[in-house]
Amino acid sequence: MPLYVYILRRLALMIPLLIGITLVSFLIANAIPGDPVAANLGQRAMSDPEIVEAFRREWGLDKPVVIQYITYLNNLLHGNLGRSIKSRRPVMDDLKSFLPATFELSTFAIVIGMVLGVAFGISSAVWRNTVLDFVVRLISILGVSTPVFWLALILLFIFYSRLHWLPGPGRLDVTVMPPPTFTGLYTLDSLLAGQWGTFLNALKHLILPGFVLASYTTGLIARVTRSSMLEVLGQEYVRTARSKGLHERVVIMRHALANALIPVVTVIGLSYGNLLSGAVLTETIFAWPGIGRYAFRASVSLDFPAIMGVSLLISLIFVATNLVVDVLYHLLDPRLRTG
Amino acid sequence: MVLGIFVVVMWVLIAIFTPQLAPYGPLEQNIPERLQEPGPGHLMGTDQLGRDVLSRVLYGSRISLPFSLLVIIVAFVLGTIVGAIAGYIGGIWDELMMRITEVFMAFPTIILAMAVAAALGPSLINAVIAMVVVWWPNYARVVRGLVIGTKKNEYVEAARAIGASDFRILARTILPNCVAPGIVMATVDIGNAILMFAGLSFLGLGAEPSTPEWGRMVSDGIDFFDQWWMSAFPGLAIFSLVVAFNFIGDGIRDLADPRMRRQR
Amino acid sequence: MRNYVRFTIMLILLAGLIVPMSGMAAQEERVLVVGHAESTDSLDPARAFTPTSSMIHQAVYDTLVTFPPDSVDRIVPELAESWEVSDDGLTYTFYLRQDVVFSTGNPMTADDVVFSFMRAKNITGNPSFLAETIESVEAIDDYTVAIHLSEPDPALLAKLIFGVFSVMDADEVIAHGGVDNEDAAEEDAAEDWLNQNSVGTGPYILESWDPQVETVLVRNPNYWGDPPYFDRIIIRNIPEAATQKISLEAGEIDIALDITADQVPALEENEAIEVFQGTSPAIIFLLCNQDEEIGGPMSNPLVQLAIRYAIDYDGILELAGGAAVQPASVIPVGFFGAFDTDQAFDRDLDRARELLAEAGYPDGFEVDLQYPEFTVRGIDLSTLAQKVQADLAEVGITVNLAPGEILTELENYRNGREGFGLWWWEPDYQDPVDYVEFLPGRTVGLRVNWTDENADPEILELRDRALVEMDDEARLEIFADIQEYLQQNGPWAPLVQPGVQFAYQAGLQGVVFNTQWIIDFALLSY
Repeated sequence: MPLYVYILRRLALMIPLLIGITLVSFLIANAIPGDPVAANLGQRAMSDPEIVEAFRREWGLDKPVVIQYITYLNNLLHGNLGRSIKSRRPVMDDLKSFLPATFELSTFAIVIGMVLGVAFGISSAVWRNTVLDFVVRLISILGVSTPVFWLALILLFIFYSRLHWLPGPGRLDVTVMPPPTFTGLYTLDSLLAGQWGTFLNALKHLILPGFVLASYTTGLIARVTRSSMLEVLGQEYVRTARSKGLHERVVIMRHALANALIPVVTVIGLSYGNLLSGAVLTETIFAWPGIGRYAFRASVSLDFPAIMGVSLLISLIFVATNLVVDVLYHLLDPRLRTG
Repeated sequence: MVLGIFVVVMWVLIAIFTPQLAPYGPLEQNIPERLQEPGPGHLMGTDQLGRDVLSRVLYGSRISLPFSLLVIIVAFVLGTIVGAIAGYIGGIWDELMMRITEVFMAFPTIILAMAVAAALGPSLINAVIAMVVVWWPNYARVVRGLVIGTKKNEYVEAARAIGASDFRILARTILPNCVAPGIVMATVDIGNAILMFAGLSFLGLGAEPSTPEWGRMVSDGIDFFDQWWMSAFPGLAIFSLVVAFNFIGDGIRDLADPRMRRQR
Repeated sequence: MRNYVRFTIMLILLAGLIVPMSGMAAQEERVLVVGHAESTDSLDPARAFTPTSSMIHQAVYDTLVTFPPDSVDRIVPELAESWEVSDDGLTYTFYLRQDVVFSTGNPMTADDVVFSFMRAKNITGNPSFLAETIESVEAIDDYTVAIHLSEPDPALLAKLIFGVFSVMDADEVIAHGGVDNEDAAEEDAAEDWLNQNSVGTGPYILESWDPQVETVLVRNPNYWGDPPYFDRIIIRNIPEAATQKISLEAGEIDIALDITADQVPALEENEAIEVFQGTSPAIIFLLCNQDEEIGGPMSNPLVQLAIRYAIDYDGILELAGGAAVQPASVIPVGFFGAFDTDQAFDRDLDRARELLAEAGYPDGFEVDLQYPEFTVRGIDLSTLAQKVQADLAEVGITVNLAPGEILTELENYRNGREGFGLWWWEPDYQDPVDYVEFLPGRTVGLRVNWTDENADPEILELRDRALVEMDDEARLEIFADIQEYLQQNGPWAPLVQPGVQFAYQAGLQGVVFNTQWIIDFALLSY
């Protein structure tokens, strides 16, 4: 099957999924006891019948639930996610301004997780049953077992409060001005603007939350890399390559690794989607102005337009990364391509 | 794995015998002795209201352990029922149920749980409900796969031939063959459930503020950075329990691995 | 940051040595970074009504009269050079300074005062009740304003110091949708703009406000008074006291406004940091809804009294630490006419149990305690709520804690939807008349549905007299009666009057706590 047909088919399959996602977020927002008008408009506007009427009309609240859902979908298609109760801004604007911070943090974390995880996994598999293997397996199991909020506090206590080696919460020191906005990623923007000091500061601020966020992913990737590598190393063609007298390093790097990494790519892709949402705890502790923290604040203040917006956005990203992963998988694995 | 079992058994024993083990009550306040460092009188120090951290950590086992297990059990049962029915009946129902699980799985887990918990109002039971909502689709999918695999076996055909009802075939013949792998998966998940439960409580979406819940206690400690013991010990408790379950899970997975792989 | 501070100090020293070259120091922008737990949902003077907004309004706006920086016992001129009161107490005439311009460059005149005051009154926002006694405001000429009252108001001058009476550039506010007529509540559309801009005569200009993140103020180049030392003030929202402390120790902020008494000993050991301690005028109290449908057993007067007897005040005081005191009523200790701490309530568990039995709850009952997740003057409400929970458990009342996010809970509180709540009150003006608001039919009283209909005639009469009495002797007597009444009756259980603690980088000058506006940024310098 040609690749583009495959992608098209996957995209077509996404449509019912997306509809389902909107339906679930709509249901959650509507399962809440209480008047959505009161929740959305606040006291002041509530006293104005015209505003209330306009709001009801905009969201079709005077109609049956089915019509309401269709109205909601229609508003959604026009990019109208409603207005956040808390920030009083359109949810779309909020998401646009909070997404870059999360994107920057989770990308940083996935790079850490990928580099460390793959390195750990390979070395653990190659030197199987040595002390190194044992240590790596221990680290990876600790990585997936540590409560991130606890790890965050401990690292903050040591490196920020006690040693003063690394900065604390936030994306920049309070005295450092954010760089001019191109992408919303402070590291990239400061480089584009040629502001070295700002770049270094932003980078330093990424280290602690980045490692905290990467802890789980690193453990996960290390595990998968190790087992996949072990499987490949035991296979016929690797043994053949060895018997041809090829250097061990060549065997591993050339023959084994390429194949062993296929499942790893899947895990990395899935982890990335998870990181975006897993950032909730990390962002909350590190006062990181991203969508995770936004989602948390929205949840505790029952800001349902915002919750729906965030859920939709992250689900979309998740579904999209899944698609990309599957396509990559398709490209990497010759068996799937012919099959 | 042995170590894991040892630690888990230890925590279970602690949970059972907490009242005998804990030197103080979990809610017992003693303001003159607040914020004391770990020492002879209070091995893990005291918190901002003079409560004994050790006692609260011990009592915490009575919350984290049973509630996380509850989440897994309810999600497992619910998922198994949905998955088994979908897999057995097949056809449009199967399609529909699988699409539904896909939708739930596409949702960011913690955000879905957070929204549900916040909407229902923060409480332990609501946190459990929120997590079940997030968790059941995993089991539904696995069990469905297993049921479809087993359905074709000869003994199922045999049961059908002798005129057993669908329910009987499903409950007596198919499910017992699928439950073992499901339980393996559930065991592996307990650690994750404990982590997520503590995370929700940490965010204030689980236990009520005074409850000796580990995640909640860690978040109490945020305001008392210099009193590191307030959050360090409850965090350590979560960590030890999750590591232990992951060791066990790893062990079980290794044992069950050849079989799991064939089913995929 | 610490390097920057050192650098600045060095520059100042150098500038002192080489006077002609002192212009060099001005090249470097002087930034003050403030750590503060933000509490406001608006910065529009006519709508905002929180400590955060008072602090910011003090920096960006001026009022007709004001307090000296370090005290609130006398009233001094600000935009008005002088004023006179008519014999019947119904007309106040203010003579304005003629040298004042707004940050926009427009001159400040009587018309601006009229517009600002009438807008504040007619918008009927949260602080508009302060303008309740004002009937009309009249511009006699460009620099003379007369305020006509509907009834004598003993606290008018003290009220005029509050941020709601900030004088704004009328033309500019009108240009952005501002309206001061009677329909202002519906028609005014300037709030969004005033949340991001300021048009006052104060030493600073509001540059931006990112809610729950930070507020940035910059120096007002057109300021009529002495220019302030700092060019830019960054007020960072740091809700956690622990983070404020670390940020201060790490040199990231210059001053932390919300540290707790618990943190003081550690900070005092640090030579690079100085600590200011005083007693705040805030009162943290329990409220019981008078409406039985909302309050349930809490609406029962016997239960309310039992609660006052059941609280372990000494324990709470120890929990609060620092310079905290136990108030004897909702009027803060130190105010004119307020009872002193020795007249405060003592715990009596037996009496509390008797009262509960008398009320029909010998075995107690279960109730939710609603409160915001917030730290008030260094006291974490969640911790205090847990203490109350433990205290009431001793008399058989099972309290379930129901914390809410601050802005959500604020809605519940203001709209009288809390059955049993834990809140605090910061005075708007330094006069006991402010505490008449806790009485039936008034702002805070209505939040527990304490109305003219369900209140005793006795307290209604005291309330009405307190509002108009101008004679100090008579006022003392009235307020003594009110406080006595509130000790035995009514829906309030005052718990504690917290201390106030600031911690700042050693060398920062001019740190003064003012109960009205917390701190005046214009007075600070290195």
